[in-house]
Amino acid sequence: MSVSKTVSRRRLRVCLAMMVGVFGVFGARLFQIQGLDASAYAAKAVEAGTKTSTVPAPRGAILDRNGAQLATSVDGMTLTADPSMTSAYAPQIARILREKLGSRIDYFDTIDKLRTPKSKFVYLARDVPAWTAKKALTAIAKANMTGVFSEKETLRTYPGGKLAANLLGYVNGSGKGVAGIEQEYDKTLTGTDGTSTYEVDPNTGARIPMADSTVTKMVPGRDVKTTIDRDLQWYADQRLADAVRESSSDWGLAITMDTKTCQIVQMSQAPTFNADDRTGMTDSNTVSRGVQNVYEPGSVMKTVTMAALADQGKIASDTPIVVPSGMDIDNFHIGDYWEHGVLHLTAAGVIAKSSNLGTIVASQQMSNSVMYNYFRKFGFGQKSGVNLPGESDGILKNGKDWTKANHATIAFGQGVSVTALQMVRAVGAIANAGKMCEPSVVSSTTGADGKQAKVAAKPSKRVVSKDAAATVTRMMEAVTAPDGTAPAAAIKGYRVAGKTGTAWRVDPATGRYIRGQNTVSFMGFAPADNPRFLTYIVLDKPYSNAGGGSTAAPVFHDIMSMALERFGVAPTGSKSPKVAQTW
Amino acid sequence: MSQLASAAASFQRIAANPRGVPQSAKAAGLRLVRPVRSRARKAPFVAVVLTVLSVGLVGLIVMSTVLQAQSFESQRLDRQAAELETQQQLLSREVDRLQSPANVARRAIAYGMVPNTNPAFLRLSDGKVLGKPEAAKPGNTNIRSVTP
Repeated sequence: MSVSKTVSRRRLRVCLAMMVGVFGVFGARLFQIQGLDASAYAAKAVEAGTKTSTVPAPRGAILDRNGAQLATSVDGMTLTADPSMTSAYAPQIARILREKLGSRIDYFDTIDKLRTPKSKFVYLARDVPAWTAKKALTAIAKANMTGVFSEKETLRTYPGGKLAANLLGYVNGSGKGVAGIEQEYDKTLTGTDGTSTYEVDPNTGARIPMADSTVTKMVPGRDVKTTIDRDLQWYADQRLADAVRESSSDWGLAITMDTKTCQIVQMSQAPTFNADDRTGMTDSNTVSRGVQNVYEPGSVMKTVTMAALADQGKIASDTPIVVPSGMDIDNFHIGDYWEHGVLHLTAAGVIAKSSNLGTIVASQQMSNSVMYNYFRKFGFGQKSGVNLPGESDGILKNGKDWTKANHATIAFGQGVSVTALQMVRAVGAIANAGKMCEPSVVSSTTGADGKQAKVAAKPSKRVVSKDAAATVTRMMEAVTAPDGTAPAAAIKGYRVAGKTGTAWRVDPATGRYIRGQNTVSFMGFAPADNPRFLTYIVLDKPYSNAGGGSTAAPVFHDIMSMALERFGVAPTGSKSPKVAQTW
Repeated sequence: MSQLASAAASFQRIAANPRGVPQSAKAAGLRLVRPVRSRARKAPFVAVVLTVLSVGLVGLIVMSTVLQAQSFESQRLDRQAAELETQQQLLSREVDRLQSPANVARRAIAYGMVPNTNPAFLRLSDGKVLGKPEAAKPGNTNIRSVTP
């Protein structure tokens, strides 16, 4: 009896000890899970049961002044493939893709990609509009083939193709603006992505109804409204491209500005690129020449010299000037573009005939520092203030360091480098009765709530007196008269003030002028007695005997006529005053 | 029965004077008796409980089914919305393309129209013509074709 009692007691104890041991292990594990690793396990559980998805914020659109879309975002897709699944029927898939995606892919290249050995992932096509990609995917699924997949992305499109491409800029592969307005207003255009976290069934992945969900609100990017008029921009693009082709120029620029507000209504460049289908995207096409390209403007600068002189009361349109047949300054021979003896021209005649020598004679009434200060006041050697990236300052040597030759040549626009927008701003001051404002390309931004934020215009400042501006305008009207240098710029019924420019080109490698290579231009505004628009045309390196009056002025005429017509600017009905060109 | 009646009476007294329970109970000669068996019927209670349970269960099932169905419906509608959005984007792009200046110009040129390069205006208030109107002629125009 006592033996069996002892055995059972021992058994009992062993069992008890084992149970205590087992429960001890359980307890320790429980403590580890609940006490020590609690947060990690909780996070794991949440992870298994929840799903977080990013709600991408759509990039804002870029609109023209009337709200027409110039750049907008749509759903896009990237097509990928798993070659281990597709290599068997690569040609069939490639044929369907080629059929549906067109020139976006190359047939043979795609076959190679679909047969990539030892690979499970290849990119087939990026930036495909969702509707096109879906068509291709449906067709592949219908043909009972698998292995082609898609990834969602946002695609930037430019419905106008090449329209105002250099002004609008473009975005890079990750959707960030890298040129033009896209870059300058990138922060405004980009919204803030939202997130949505919700509980899902760990097995099916389906969302559990009524379960907790947290949502961080997505804030869409703001729309940017430009000052561009789409139709005028298109017309200018076309007209300029034709002119560049006909004159075999390297490149051309056409800018039209509202002289009252300094809003740029069109800014064309040729050759250009197409950001929509990403063609022609070479460095020379994507550079925004209006603000990034510096060149010597030539005779258009004479208007600024004359305005400086008129502001000091040193010249009037009928001031008599004795123009020599030639000048040698610092061993540098300067002549006019036509051979002549001593001429008796008025100041208006000097501008109308575009005499370099006459301008030098007149400008010699100013010291280096006075002339330099006026050029600085007109904004040369400084950024134009337009909200566009990569703007150049241009090159204006300090007046203290000017030689006699510098003084002489800068007066007629050689030896000074400018950007087209600087030139537009300076002559814009003459058109705007002596007050200069900073050009702008964006008027407002609009949020998804429809609230508009205006981009404040910077205040204009007086550069020369109203009378000085009027004097130079009268001189410039003589340019478009039948006996001026650019009768082709005249618009029937309107008073047009203008100035031609034919400048020697500088070889960027040597820094010297290249004989026979010019930059021709025409700057003008209308109506001359109540200016509304100013248009500047620049053609670089046209055929050798092209001049501003013969090559650029007709382009000015057409673009300016279209601007006046589109904005309903009627002629004032007044007649141009007769100004004597000789004495 | 008389015992019961007297017990009830003494209880009433106790209730009236709870402090005197032991004395009055003893005085009344009370002793413990077996509790009276309740003869309440079970059936209605069971029926009520079963009904509540089954209605709750069925309700839960119905609600869960409806919610699941709605979840599927919401997923289907989400897909449909995405599909329609894509379609809407396609169509608005088509509209953009058709109303783009290039397309309008191309069609206008095909109809034999030419751009006007001589702006002139008619002032409605006095019928005065501002500017010098000139008919635009096919040979006299600057844009003859649209370069894409």
